[in-house]
Amino acid sequence: MSKRTLTLVIGAVIVGGALWVGLRRGANENSAANGTPTPVSPTSWGEPDLTGVWKGEALGASTERDSFNLTTLEGLYKPEARARMQKMSTKDDPSLRCAPPAFPRAAMLGHAVQIIQRPGFAYVFTEAYPVFRIIQTTGRPHTAEQYLYPTYMGDSTARWEGDTLVVDVNSFNGEGWLAGPLDKPTSASTGIWLTSPVMHVVERWRRIDADTLEYQARVEDPEMLTVPWETPTVTLKRQPVETIEEALCRPEDGPDTYLARLGS
Amino acid sequence: MSVKRLAVVTVLAGAGLVLATYFAVVASPPAAAQVRPYTPPQSQKGADWTERIGELLPLGVETRAEATERVVNYKPDPVKYPVPRTPWDGKPDFSGVYWPDATIAPPPVPLESLYRPEAREYREGGGAARGLIDWRGIDTPNYHCWPPSPVNGSMGGTIQLVSAPGYLLLLNEGSSNFRIIPIVGENGRRPSAARRPSFQGSSVGHWEGDTLVIDVTNFNGKPWLGPARPPNQLPQTSSDALRIVERWSRPDAQVFEYRLVVEDQKMLTAPWTGATERRGIMPYDTVLESLCFLDPELDARHRDYAAQQAAKKGAAAR
Repeated sequence: MSKRTLTLVIGAVIVGGALWVGLRRGANENSAANGTPTPVSPTSWGEPDLTGVWKGEALGASTERDSFNLTTLEGLYKPEARARMQKMSTKDDPSLRCAPPAFPRAAMLGHAVQIIQRPGFAYVFTEAYPVFRIIQTTGRPHTAEQYLYPTYMGDSTARWEGDTLVVDVNSFNGEGWLAGPLDKPTSASTGIWLTSPVMHVVERWRRIDADTLEYQARVEDPEMLTVPWETPTVTLKRQPVETIEEALCRPEDGPDTYLARLGS
Repeated sequence: MSVKRLAVVTVLAGAGLVLATYFAVVASPPAAAQVRPYTPPQSQKGADWTERIGELLPLGVETRAEATERVVNYKPDPVKYPVPRTPWDGKPDFSGVYWPDATIAPPPVPLESLYRPEAREYREGGGAARGLIDWRGIDTPNYHCWPPSPVNGSMGGTIQLVSAPGYLLLLNEGSSNFRIIPIVGENGRRPSAARRPSFQGSSVGHWEGDTLVIDVTNFNGKPWLGPARPPNQLPQTSSDALRIVERWSRPDAQVFEYRLVVEDQKMLTAPWTGATERRGIMPYDTVLESLCFLDPELDARHRDYAAQQAAKKGAAAR
Protein backbone atom coordinates (compact mmCIF):
# COMPACT_ATOMS: atom_id res chain seq x y z
CA MET A 1 0.00 0.00 0.00
CA SER A 2 1.42 3.35 -1.01
CA LYS A 3 1.87 6.16 1.52
CA ARG A 4 -0.80 8.12 -0.26
CA THR A 5 -3.39 5.33 0.02
CA LEU A 6 -2.51 4.83 3.72
CA THR A 7 -3.00 8.56 4.36
CA LEU A 8 -6.37 8.47 2.64
CA VAL A 9 -7.52 5.37 4.65
CA ILE A 10 -6.50 6.99 7.97
CA GLY A 11 -8.23 10.21 6.96
CA ALA A 12 -11.41 8.31 6.04
CA VAL A 13 -11.41 6.46 9.37
CA ILE A 14 -11.01 9.73 11.33
CA VAL A 15 -13.69 11.60 9.39
CA GLY A 16 -16.02 8.58 9.49
CA GLY A 17 -15.52 8.24 13.23
CA ALA A 18 -16.29 11.91 13.77
CA LEU A 19 -19.47 11.59 11.70
CA TRP A 20 -20.57 8.46 13.65
CA VAL A 21 -20.03 10.10 17.05
CA GLY A 22 -21.81 13.24 15.91
CA LEU A 23 -24.80 11.31 14.57
CA ARG A 24 -25.05 9.21 17.75
CA ARG A 25 -25.06 12.31 19.90
CA GLY A 26 -27.72 13.88 17.73
CA ALA A 27 -29.80 10.71 18.04
CA ASN A 28 -29.57 10.87 21.87
CA GLU A 29 -30.69 14.48 21.89
CA ASN A 30 -33.59 13.58 19.62
CA SER A 31 -34.69 10.75 21.94
CA ALA A 32 -34.73 13.20 24.89
CA ALA A 33 -36.76 15.66 22.87
CA ASN A 34 -39.21 12.89 21.91
CA GLY A 35 -39.96 12.18 25.56
CA THR A 36 -37.96 8.95 25.75
CA PRO A 37 -36.90 8.56 29.40
CA THR A 38 -33.42 9.94 30.01
CA PRO A 39 -31.20 8.17 32.52
CA VAL A 40 -31.01 9.81 35.93
CA SER A 41 -27.59 10.66 37.30
CA PRO A 42 -26.66 8.66 40.38
CA THR A 43 -25.83 10.33 43.67
CA SER A 44 -22.27 11.60 44.01
CA TRP A 45 -21.42 8.40 45.93
CA GLY A 46 -22.78 6.15 43.18
CA GLU A 47 -26.22 5.04 44.41
CA PRO A 48 -29.38 5.47 42.30
CA ASP A 49 -30.87 8.83 43.28
CA LEU A 50 -34.43 8.70 44.69
CA THR A 51 -34.17 12.17 46.25
CA GLY A 52 -37.20 14.37 45.74
CA VAL A 53 -40.78 15.14 46.66
CA TRP A 54 -43.13 12.62 45.01
CA LYS A 55 -46.88 12.40 44.83
CA GLY A 56 -49.30 9.83 43.46
CA GLU A 57 -53.07 9.67 43.16
CA ALA A 58 -55.25 8.80 46.14
CA LEU A 59 -56.04 5.10 45.72
CA GLY A 60 -58.59 2.84 47.34
CA ALA A 61 -61.58 0.70 46.69
CA SER A 62 -65.34 0.90 46.36
CA THR A 63 -67.78 -1.53 44.74
CA GLU A 64 -67.35 0.42 41.49
CA ARG A 65 -63.58 0.77 41.42
CA ASP A 66 -60.60 -0.89 43.08
CA SER A 67 -57.31 0.87 42.40
CA PHE A 68 -55.24 -0.84 45.11
CA ASN A 69 -55.92 -4.56 44.61
CA LEU A 70 -58.01 -4.60 47.79
CA THR A 71 -60.55 -7.05 46.39
CA THR A 72 -57.76 -9.60 46.29
CA LEU A 73 -56.55 -8.65 49.77
CA GLU A 74 -60.02 -9.07 51.20
CA GLY A 75 -60.17 -12.59 49.82
CA LEU A 76 -56.85 -13.50 51.45
CA TYR A 77 -57.91 -12.97 55.08
CA LYS A 78 -58.04 -16.17 57.10
CA PRO A 79 -61.42 -17.23 58.63
CA GLU A 80 -60.23 -16.44 62.17
CA ALA A 81 -59.14 -12.96 61.08
CA ARG A 82 -62.52 -12.41 59.42
CA ALA A 83 -64.28 -13.48 62.61
CA ARG A 84 -62.28 -10.89 64.55
CA MET A 85 -62.99 -8.18 61.99
CA GLN A 86 -66.73 -8.89 62.06
CA LYS A 87 -66.74 -7.94 65.75
CA MET A 88 -64.90 -4.66 65.18
CA SER A 89 -65.97 -1.23 64.01
CA THR A 90 -64.39 0.98 61.36
CA LYS A 91 -63.96 3.48 64.22
CA ASP A 92 -61.24 1.16 65.53
CA ASP A 93 -58.91 2.29 62.73
CA PRO A 94 -55.86 3.46 64.71
CA SER A 95 -55.30 6.22 62.16
CA LEU A 96 -58.43 7.86 63.54
CA ARG A 97 -56.40 8.34 66.74
CA CYS A 98 -53.59 9.81 64.66
CA ALA A 99 -51.48 6.66 64.61
CA PRO A 100 -49.38 6.74 61.45
CA PRO A 101 -50.27 4.39 58.60
CA ALA A 102 -47.28 2.32 57.56
CA PHE A 103 -46.32 1.71 53.95
CA PRO A 104 -47.89 0.36 51.75
CA ARG A 105 -51.04 2.04 53.13
CA ALA A 106 -49.21 5.38 53.23
CA ALA A 107 -48.56 5.04 49.47
CA MET A 108 -52.30 4.96 48.66
CA LEU A 109 -53.27 8.12 50.54
CA GLY A 110 -52.27 10.54 47.78
CA HIS A 111 -50.16 12.62 50.18
CA ALA A 112 -46.72 13.75 49.03
CA VAL A 113 -43.74 11.60 49.98
CA GLN A 114 -40.24 13.03 50.38
CA ILE A 115 -37.09 10.93 50.10
CA ILE A 116 -33.65 12.22 51.09
CA GLN A 117 -30.49 10.11 50.84
CA ARG A 118 -27.04 10.18 52.32
CA PRO A 119 -24.41 7.47 51.92
CA GLY A 120 -25.86 4.25 53.32
CA PHE A 121 -29.25 5.68 54.31
CA ALA A 122 -32.55 6.83 52.86
CA TYR A 123 -35.06 8.87 54.87
CA VAL A 124 -38.75 8.79 53.95
CA PHE A 125 -41.27 11.40 55.09
CA THR A 126 -44.91 11.89 54.16
CA GLU A 127 -47.37 14.73 54.47
CA ALA A 128 -49.85 12.26 55.91
CA TYR A 129 -48.43 12.03 59.42
CA PRO A 130 -45.60 13.56 61.46
CA VAL A 131 -43.50 10.42 61.40
CA PHE A 132 -40.38 9.38 59.52
CA ARG A 133 -38.68 6.24 58.26
CA ILE A 134 -34.96 5.65 58.51
CA ILE A 135 -33.84 3.03 55.99
CA GLN A 136 -30.34 1.55 55.86
CA THR A 137 -29.45 0.99 52.22
CA THR A 138 -26.30 -1.12 52.55
CA GLY A 139 -28.02 -4.46 53.06
CA ARG A 140 -27.13 -4.56 56.73
CA PRO A 141 -29.16 -7.08 58.74
CA HIS A 142 -32.22 -5.89 60.64
CA THR A 143 -31.78 -4.44 64.10
CA ALA A 144 -30.68 -7.23 66.43
CA GLU A 145 -33.59 -8.93 68.15
CA GLN A 146 -32.68 -7.75 71.64
CA TYR A 147 -32.90 -4.12 70.46
CA LEU A 148 -36.01 -4.56 68.32
CA TYR A 149 -38.86 -2.32 69.28
CA PRO A 150 -42.20 -3.03 67.58
CA THR A 151 -43.50 0.11 65.89
CA TYR A 152 -46.18 1.33 63.51
CA MET A 153 -43.62 1.93 60.74
CA GLY A 154 -41.51 -1.19 61.37
CA ASP A 155 -37.76 -1.77 61.17
CA SER A 156 -36.41 -1.24 57.64
CA THR A 157 -33.27 -2.42 55.95
CA ALA A 158 -32.62 -2.23 52.23
CA ARG A 159 -30.30 -3.18 49.42
CA TRP A 160 -29.97 -2.03 45.84
CA GLU A 161 -30.96 -4.49 43.11
CA GLY A 162 -29.76 -2.63 40.05
CA ASP A 163 -31.62 0.66 40.18
CA THR A 164 -34.35 -0.62 42.55
CA LEU A 165 -34.21 -0.06 46.30
CA VAL A 166 -35.59 -3.25 47.85
CA VAL A 167 -36.67 -2.56 51.42
CA ASP A 168 -37.34 -5.35 53.89
CA VAL A 169 -39.57 -4.27 56.79
CA ASN A 170 -40.44 -6.22 59.93
CA SER A 171 -41.01 -5.53 63.62
CA PHE A 172 -44.44 -3.99 63.18
CA ASN A 173 -46.59 -3.60 66.27
CA GLY A 174 -49.59 -5.28 64.65
CA GLU A 175 -51.89 -2.31 65.28
CA GLY A 176 -51.79 -0.70 61.84
CA TRP A 177 -54.32 -1.42 59.12
CA LEU A 178 -53.53 -2.20 55.47
CA ALA A 179 -56.28 0.10 54.12
CA GLY A 180 -58.81 2.59 55.45
CA PRO A 181 -62.37 2.38 56.78
CA LEU A 182 -63.76 3.88 53.56
CA ASP A 183 -62.20 1.12 51.44
CA LYS A 184 -65.01 -1.35 50.78
CA PRO A 185 -64.45 -3.19 47.50
CA THR A 186 -67.48 -5.47 47.86
CA SER A 187 -70.91 -5.11 49.38
CA ALA A 188 -69.82 -7.52 52.12
CA SER A 189 -66.67 -5.51 52.99
CA THR A 190 -66.22 -4.42 56.59
CA GLY A 191 -63.72 -1.63 55.90
CA ILE A 192 -61.45 -3.27 58.48
CA TRP A 193 -57.97 -4.34 57.39
CA LEU A 194 -56.08 -5.89 60.31
CA THR A 195 -52.40 -6.76 60.50
CA SER A 196 -50.43 -8.74 63.06
CA PRO A 197 -46.95 -8.29 64.60
CA VAL A 198 -45.54 -10.99 62.28
CA MET A 199 -46.27 -8.88 59.19
CA HIS A 200 -43.33 -8.71 56.80
CA VAL A 201 -43.28 -6.22 53.93
CA VAL A 202 -40.92 -6.15 50.96
CA GLU A 203 -41.04 -2.85 49.08
CA ARG A 204 -39.54 -1.93 45.74
CA TRP A 205 -38.78 1.74 45.09
CA ARG A 206 -37.52 2.58 41.60
CA ARG A 207 -36.79 5.84 39.85
CA ILE A 208 -38.10 5.45 36.29
CA ASP A 209 -36.97 8.83 34.97
CA ALA A 210 -36.32 12.34 36.19
CA ASP A 211 -40.00 12.90 37.05
CA THR A 212 -41.29 9.45 37.95
CA LEU A 213 -40.88 7.08 40.89
CA GLU A 214 -42.53 3.68 41.18
CA TYR A 215 -43.51 1.89 44.38
CA GLN A 216 -44.69 -1.66 44.85
CA ALA A 217 -44.99 -3.84 47.94
CA ARG A 218 -45.52 -7.46 48.89
CA VAL A 219 -47.16 -8.10 52.26
CA GLU A 220 -46.79 -11.38 54.13
CA ASP A 221 -48.75 -11.88 57.32
CA PRO A 222 -49.20 -15.59 58.08
CA GLU A 223 -51.39 -14.83 61.09
CA MET A 224 -53.86 -12.83 59.01
CA LEU A 225 -53.45 -13.82 55.34
CA THR A 226 -53.45 -17.21 53.64
CA VAL A 227 -50.84 -16.15 51.08
CA PRO A 228 -48.84 -12.93 50.51
CA TRP A 229 -50.64 -9.95 49.00
CA GLU A 230 -49.11 -7.85 46.23
CA THR A 231 -49.99 -4.17 45.82
CA PRO A 232 -50.26 -2.74 42.35
CA THR A 233 -47.37 -0.58 41.18
CA VAL A 234 -48.00 2.98 42.37
CA THR A 235 -46.68 5.78 40.18
CA LEU A 236 -45.52 8.93 41.93
CA LYS A 237 -44.66 12.13 40.09
CA ARG A 238 -41.99 14.63 41.07
CA GLN A 239 -43.30 17.80 42.72
CA PRO A 240 -41.54 21.11 42.04
CA VAL A 241 -40.89 21.85 45.73
CA GLU A 242 -37.92 21.41 48.05
CA THR A 243 -39.86 20.10 51.04
CA ILE A 244 -43.23 18.60 51.83
CA GLU A 245 -45.71 20.55 53.95
CA GLU A 246 -45.71 20.14 57.72
CA ALA A 247 -47.53 16.91 58.47
CA LEU A 248 -50.32 17.13 61.02
CA CYS A 249 -53.28 14.90 61.68
CA ARG A 250 -56.08 16.61 63.55
CA PRO A 251 -59.01 18.30 61.78
CA GLU A 252 -58.25 21.75 63.22
CA ASP A 253 -54.79 21.57 61.64
CA GLY A 254 -56.25 22.05 58.19
CA PRO A 255 -58.48 20.69 55.46
CA ASP A 256 -55.80 18.44 54.00
CA THR A 257 -55.18 16.29 57.07
CA TYR A 258 -56.05 12.63 56.98
CA LEU A 259 -58.90 12.96 59.46
CA ALA A 260 -60.39 15.97 57.71
CA ARG A 261 -60.37 14.06 54.45
CA LEU A 262 -62.27 11.27 56.11
CA GLY A 263 -64.82 13.82 57.26
CA SER A 264 -64.07 12.77 60.80
CA MET B 1 6.74 17.99 0.66
CA SER B 2 4.40 18.79 -2.20
CA VAL B 3 1.60 21.31 -1.75
CA LYS B 4 -0.99 18.57 -2.26
CA ARG B 5 0.50 16.37 0.46
CA LEU B 6 0.78 19.37 2.78
CA ALA B 7 -2.91 20.08 2.25
CA VAL B 8 -3.88 16.45 3.08
CA VAL B 9 -1.74 16.46 6.24
CA THR B 10 -3.25 19.81 7.33
CA VAL B 11 -6.81 18.55 6.82
CA LEU B 12 -6.06 15.35 8.79
CA ALA B 13 -4.41 17.30 11.61
CA GLY B 14 -7.41 19.63 11.73
CA ALA B 15 -9.84 16.70 11.88
CA GLY B 16 -7.76 15.13 14.66
CA LEU B 17 -7.79 18.38 16.63
CA VAL B 18 -11.59 18.70 16.28
CA LEU B 19 -12.05 15.10 17.42
CA ALA B 20 -9.70 15.50 20.39
CA THR B 21 -11.55 18.66 21.48
CA TYR B 22 -14.91 16.90 21.07
CA PHE B 23 -13.92 13.97 23.28
CA ALA B 24 -12.19 16.19 25.85
CA VAL B 25 -14.92 18.79 26.26
CA VAL B 26 -18.26 17.76 24.83
CA ALA B 27 -18.45 14.00 25.07
CA SER B 28 -16.87 13.58 28.51
CA PRO B 29 -19.42 12.81 31.24
CA PRO B 30 -20.41 15.69 33.55
CA ALA B 31 -18.53 15.81 36.83
CA ALA B 32 -21.68 15.12 38.86
CA ALA B 33 -22.22 11.76 37.19
CA GLN B 34 -18.76 10.45 38.03
CA VAL B 35 -18.85 7.82 40.70
CA ARG B 36 -16.59 8.40 43.65
CA PRO B 37 -15.28 5.45 45.62
CA TYR B 38 -17.47 4.96 48.64
CA THR B 39 -17.08 2.92 51.80
CA PRO B 40 -20.40 2.13 53.47
CA PRO B 41 -20.65 3.44 57.04
CA GLN B 42 -20.09 0.85 59.71
CA SER B 43 -22.49 0.29 62.55
CA GLN B 44 -21.96 2.82 65.29
CA LYS B 45 -22.73 0.14 67.83
CA GLY B 46 -19.71 -1.80 69.00
CA ALA B 47 -16.56 -1.55 70.98
CA ASP B 48 -14.69 1.06 68.93
CA TRP B 49 -17.47 3.57 68.95
CA THR B 50 -18.25 3.01 72.62
CA GLU B 51 -14.61 3.44 73.58
CA ARG B 52 -14.34 6.65 71.62
CA ILE B 53 -17.47 8.14 73.04
CA GLY B 54 -17.32 6.58 76.47
CA GLU B 55 -15.34 9.46 77.87
CA LEU B 56 -18.21 11.81 77.19
CA LEU B 57 -21.23 9.64 77.76
CA PRO B 58 -20.78 6.62 79.99
CA LEU B 59 -24.05 4.89 79.29
CA GLY B 60 -26.43 3.87 81.98
CA VAL B 61 -24.62 5.56 84.83
CA GLU B 62 -25.82 9.11 84.44
CA THR B 63 -28.97 10.90 85.35
CA ARG B 64 -30.22 13.60 83.06
CA ALA B 65 -28.97 16.26 85.50
CA GLU B 66 -25.50 14.68 85.61
CA ALA B 67 -25.35 14.41 81.84
CA THR B 68 -26.45 18.02 81.51
CA GLU B 69 -23.77 19.20 83.93
CA ARG B 70 -21.08 17.20 82.13
CA VAL B 71 -22.12 18.55 78.70
CA VAL B 72 -22.18 22.12 80.07
CA ASN B 73 -18.67 21.72 81.50
CA TYR B 74 -17.30 19.90 78.46
CA LYS B 75 -14.46 21.68 76.66
CA PRO B 76 -14.66 20.93 72.93
CA ASP B 77 -11.41 19.51 71.61
CA PRO B 78 -11.34 19.49 67.78
CA VAL B 79 -7.81 18.04 67.77
CA LYS B 80 -8.75 14.97 69.78
CA TYR B 81 -12.24 14.74 68.26
CA PRO B 82 -12.00 16.29 64.77
CA VAL B 83 -15.18 17.76 63.34
CA PRO B 84 -16.69 15.15 60.97
CA ARG B 85 -17.08 16.50 57.45
CA THR B 86 -19.33 15.38 54.63
CA PRO B 87 -17.70 13.73 51.60
CA TRP B 88 -19.81 15.80 49.20
CA ASP B 89 -18.99 19.37 50.27
CA GLY B 90 -16.51 19.16 53.13
CA LYS B 91 -18.85 21.06 55.46
CA PRO B 92 -19.39 19.90 59.07
CA ASP B 93 -21.46 16.72 59.22
CA PHE B 94 -24.06 17.11 61.97
CA SER B 95 -25.25 13.50 61.70
CA GLY B 96 -25.78 11.79 65.02
CA VAL B 97 -28.17 11.19 67.90
CA TYR B 98 -27.93 13.88 70.60
CA TRP B 99 -29.02 14.30 74.22
CA PRO B 100 -29.53 16.16 76.54
CA ASP B 101 -30.18 19.84 75.84
CA ALA B 102 -27.82 21.79 78.06
CA THR B 103 -27.74 25.58 78.34
CA ILE B 104 -24.15 26.81 78.20
CA ALA B 105 -25.00 30.53 78.11
CA PRO B 106 -28.33 31.95 79.35
CA PRO B 107 -30.23 34.53 77.32
CA PRO B 108 -29.05 38.12 77.99
CA VAL B 109 -32.58 39.14 78.98
CA PRO B 110 -35.66 37.02 79.77
CA LEU B 111 -38.06 36.62 76.85
CA GLU B 112 -40.92 37.73 79.10
CA SER B 113 -39.35 41.18 79.53
CA LEU B 114 -39.79 41.92 75.81
CA TYR B 115 -43.52 41.12 75.48
CA ARG B 116 -45.64 44.05 74.40
CA PRO B 117 -48.09 45.19 77.11
CA GLU B 118 -50.85 45.47 74.51
CA ALA B 119 -50.48 41.74 73.72
CA ARG B 120 -51.68 40.89 77.24
CA GLU B 121 -55.31 40.23 76.37
CA TYR B 122 -54.34 38.04 73.45
CA ARG B 123 -52.01 36.06 75.68
CA GLU B 124 -54.64 35.70 78.41
CA GLY B 125 -56.83 33.89 75.90
CA GLY B 126 -54.00 31.55 74.91
CA GLY B 127 -53.32 33.28 71.61
CA ALA B 128 -54.28 31.18 68.62
CA ALA B 129 -55.11 28.37 71.06
CA ARG B 130 -58.09 30.32 72.48
CA GLY B 131 -60.80 27.80 73.24
CA LEU B 132 -58.45 24.87 72.80
CA ILE B 133 -55.75 24.95 75.48
CA ASP B 134 -56.92 25.54 79.03
CA TRP B 135 -53.56 26.82 80.20
CA ARG B 136 -54.66 27.91 83.69
CA GLY B 137 -54.79 24.26 84.69
CA ILE B 138 -52.08 21.82 83.78
CA ASP B 139 -52.94 21.93 80.09
CA THR B 140 -50.08 22.82 77.73
CA PRO B 141 -49.42 22.57 73.99
CA ASN B 142 -47.52 19.34 74.71
CA TYR B 143 -50.73 17.60 75.73
CA HIS B 144 -52.19 18.57 72.35
CA CYS B 145 -49.33 17.00 70.40
CA TRP B 146 -48.20 20.35 69.06
CA PRO B 147 -44.61 20.26 67.80
CA PRO B 148 -41.99 21.44 70.33
CA SER B 149 -41.47 25.21 70.62
CA PRO B 150 -39.59 26.79 67.71
CA VAL B 151 -37.56 28.72 70.30
CA ASN B 152 -35.86 25.42 70.97
CA GLY B 153 -35.42 24.71 67.26
CA SER B 154 -38.58 22.55 67.45
CA MET B 155 -36.33 19.98 69.12
CA GLY B 156 -37.66 17.43 71.57
CA GLY B 157 -35.67 15.60 74.23
CA THR B 158 -33.61 13.18 72.15
CA ILE B 159 -32.99 14.15 68.56
CA GLN B 160 -31.23 12.84 65.50
CA LEU B 161 -29.58 15.16 63.01
CA VAL B 162 -28.81 14.02 59.48
CA SER B 163 -26.64 15.93 57.04
CA ALA B 164 -27.52 15.03 53.45
CA PRO B 165 -26.58 16.72 50.17
CA GLY B 166 -28.56 19.98 50.18
CA TYR B 167 -30.40 19.27 53.43
CA LEU B 168 -30.18 19.11 57.20
CA LEU B 169 -32.78 16.81 58.76
CA LEU B 170 -33.98 17.02 62.35
CA LEU B 171 -35.74 13.89 63.61
CA ASN B 172 -37.43 14.10 66.98
CA GLU B 173 -37.86 11.17 69.30
CA GLY B 174 -40.91 11.76 71.43
CA SER B 175 -43.37 13.47 69.18
CA SER B 176 -41.81 12.06 65.97
CA ASN B 177 -41.97 15.52 64.40
CA PHE B 178 -39.28 16.32 61.90
CA ARG B 179 -37.82 19.35 60.17
CA ILE B 180 -36.48 19.21 56.62
CA ILE B 181 -34.14 22.15 56.16
CA PRO B 182 -33.02 22.89 52.58
CA ILE B 183 -29.57 24.43 52.34
CA VAL B 184 -29.51 27.14 49.70
CA GLY B 185 -26.88 26.92 47.03
CA GLU B 186 -26.12 23.22 47.41
CA ASN B 187 -26.83 21.33 44.21
CA GLY B 188 -28.59 24.46 42.99
CA ARG B 189 -31.36 23.98 45.54
CA ARG B 190 -33.63 26.88 46.37
CA PRO B 191 -36.32 27.24 49.03
CA SER B 192 -39.88 26.40 48.08
CA ALA B 193 -41.96 29.47 47.35
CA ALA B 194 -45.50 28.74 48.46
CA ARG B 195 -45.62 26.60 51.58
CA ARG B 196 -48.49 26.61 54.00
CA PRO B 197 -47.80 28.52 57.24
CA SER B 198 -46.96 25.93 59.89
CA PHE B 199 -46.00 25.30 63.53
CA GLN B 200 -42.36 24.77 62.61
CA GLY B 201 -42.22 27.38 59.87
CA SER B 202 -40.31 27.19 56.61
CA SER B 203 -36.56 26.87 57.02
CA VAL B 204 -33.81 27.94 54.66
CA GLY B 205 -30.18 27.30 55.58
CA HIS B 206 -26.93 28.70 54.27
CA TRP B 207 -23.34 28.28 55.33
CA GLU B 208 -21.31 31.09 56.88
CA GLY B 209 -17.93 29.37 57.11
CA ASP B 210 -18.57 26.25 59.20
CA THR B 211 -21.74 27.65 60.79
CA LEU B 212 -25.11 26.70 59.33
CA VAL B 213 -27.38 29.74 59.54
CA ILE B 214 -31.07 28.87 59.25
CA ASP B 215 -33.73 31.50 58.62
CA VAL B 216 -37.16 30.30 59.74
CA THR B 217 -40.31 32.19 58.72
CA ASN B 218 -43.86 31.37 57.58
CA PHE B 219 -45.09 30.32 61.03
CA ASN B 220 -48.83 29.86 61.56
CA GLY B 221 -49.06 32.10 64.64
CA LYS B 222 -49.96 29.20 66.92
CA PRO B 223 -46.71 28.19 68.69
CA TRP B 224 -46.08 29.20 72.26
CA LEU B 225 -42.47 30.27 72.63
CA GLY B 226 -42.22 29.15 76.22
CA PRO B 227 -44.38 27.31 78.73
CA ALA B 228 -47.15 29.06 80.63
CA ARG B 229 -46.61 29.14 84.39
CA PRO B 230 -49.95 30.20 85.79
CA PRO B 231 -50.80 32.39 87.56
CA ASN B 232 -47.54 34.35 87.29
CA GLN B 233 -46.70 33.96 83.63
CA LEU B 234 -49.05 34.12 80.68
CA PRO B 235 -48.55 31.90 77.64
CA GLN B 236 -45.67 33.27 75.58
CA THR B 237 -47.66 33.38 72.38
CA SER B 238 -46.34 34.16 68.92
CA SER B 239 -47.81 35.69 65.78
CA ASP B 240 -47.53 35.10 62.05
CA ALA B 241 -44.77 37.74 62.07
CA LEU B 242 -42.48 35.35 63.95
CA ARG B 243 -39.03 34.99 62.46
CA ILE B 244 -36.18 32.98 63.94
CA VAL B 245 -32.56 33.00 62.84
CA GLU B 246 -30.69 29.95 64.12
CA ARG B 247 -26.94 29.35 64.12
CA TRP B 248 -25.82 25.72 64.25
CA SER B 249 -22.21 24.74 64.74
CA ARG B 250 -20.17 21.63 65.51
CA PRO B 251 -17.23 22.58 67.78
CA ASP B 252 -15.97 18.98 67.72
CA ALA B 253 -17.20 15.44 67.06
CA GLN B 254 -18.77 15.09 70.51
CA VAL B 255 -21.22 17.99 70.57
CA PHE B 256 -23.16 20.49 68.51
CA GLU B 257 -24.17 23.97 69.59
CA TYR B 258 -27.17 26.03 68.78
CA ARG B 259 -28.28 29.62 69.35
CA LEU B 260 -30.96 31.85 67.91
CA VAL B 261 -32.48 35.29 67.64
CA VAL B 262 -36.29 35.63 67.73
CA GLU B 263 -38.17 38.49 66.08
CA ASP B 264 -41.91 39.01 66.37
CA GLN B 265 -42.94 42.60 65.88
CA LYS B 266 -46.55 41.90 66.85
CA MET B 267 -45.60 40.32 70.20
CA LEU B 268 -42.15 41.63 71.15
CA THR B 269 -40.73 45.13 71.48
CA ALA B 270 -37.28 44.05 70.22
CA PRO B 271 -35.52 40.97 68.88
CA TRP B 272 -34.71 38.46 71.62
CA THR B 273 -31.46 36.51 71.77
CA GLY B 274 -32.03 33.04 73.17
CA ALA B 275 -29.76 30.81 75.21
CA THR B 276 -26.77 29.07 73.67
CA GLU B 277 -27.49 25.37 73.90
CA ARG B 278 -25.27 22.35 73.50
CA ARG B 279 -26.12 18.69 73.05
CA GLY B 280 -23.82 15.69 73.42
CA ILE B 281 -23.66 12.89 70.86
CA MET B 282 -24.99 9.46 71.83
CA PRO B 283 -23.68 6.06 70.71
CA TYR B 284 -26.85 5.18 68.79
CA ASP B 285 -27.58 4.80 65.09
CA THR B 286 -31.08 6.21 65.16
CA VAL B 287 -33.81 7.64 67.29
CA LEU B 288 -36.82 5.40 67.82
CA GLU B 289 -40.39 5.77 66.70
CA SER B 290 -42.20 7.41 69.59
CA LEU B 291 -45.55 9.02 68.94
CA CYS B 292 -47.86 11.50 70.61
CA PHE B 293 -51.48 10.47 71.22
CA LEU B 294 -54.23 12.66 72.61
CA ASP B 295 -56.26 11.39 75.51
CA PRO B 296 -59.96 10.95 74.66
CA GLU B 297 -61.07 14.03 76.64
CA LEU B 298 -58.62 16.28 74.79
CA ASP B 299 -59.57 14.58 71.55
CA ALA B 300 -63.21 15.54 72.16
CA ARG B 301 -62.10 19.11 72.88
CA HIS B 302 -60.18 19.18 69.59
CA ARG B 303 -63.24 18.09 67.67
CA ASP B 304 -65.43 20.72 69.38
CA TYR B 305 -62.82 23.34 68.59
CA ALA B 306 -62.66 22.28 64.94
CA ALA B 307 -66.46 22.42 64.72
CA GLN B 308 -66.52 25.93 66.25
CA GLN B 309 -63.85 27.12 63.83
CA ALA B 310 -65.79 25.67 60.90
CA ALA B 311 -68.99 27.34 62.14
CA LYS B 312 -67.15 30.69 62.46
CA LYS B 313 -65.81 30.35 58.94
CA GLY B 314 -69.30 29.50 57.69
CA ALA B 315 -70.78 32.55 59.45
CA ALA B 316 -68.05 34.79 58.01
CA ALA B 317 -68.70 33.42 54.53
CA ARG B 318 -72.40 34.25 54.86
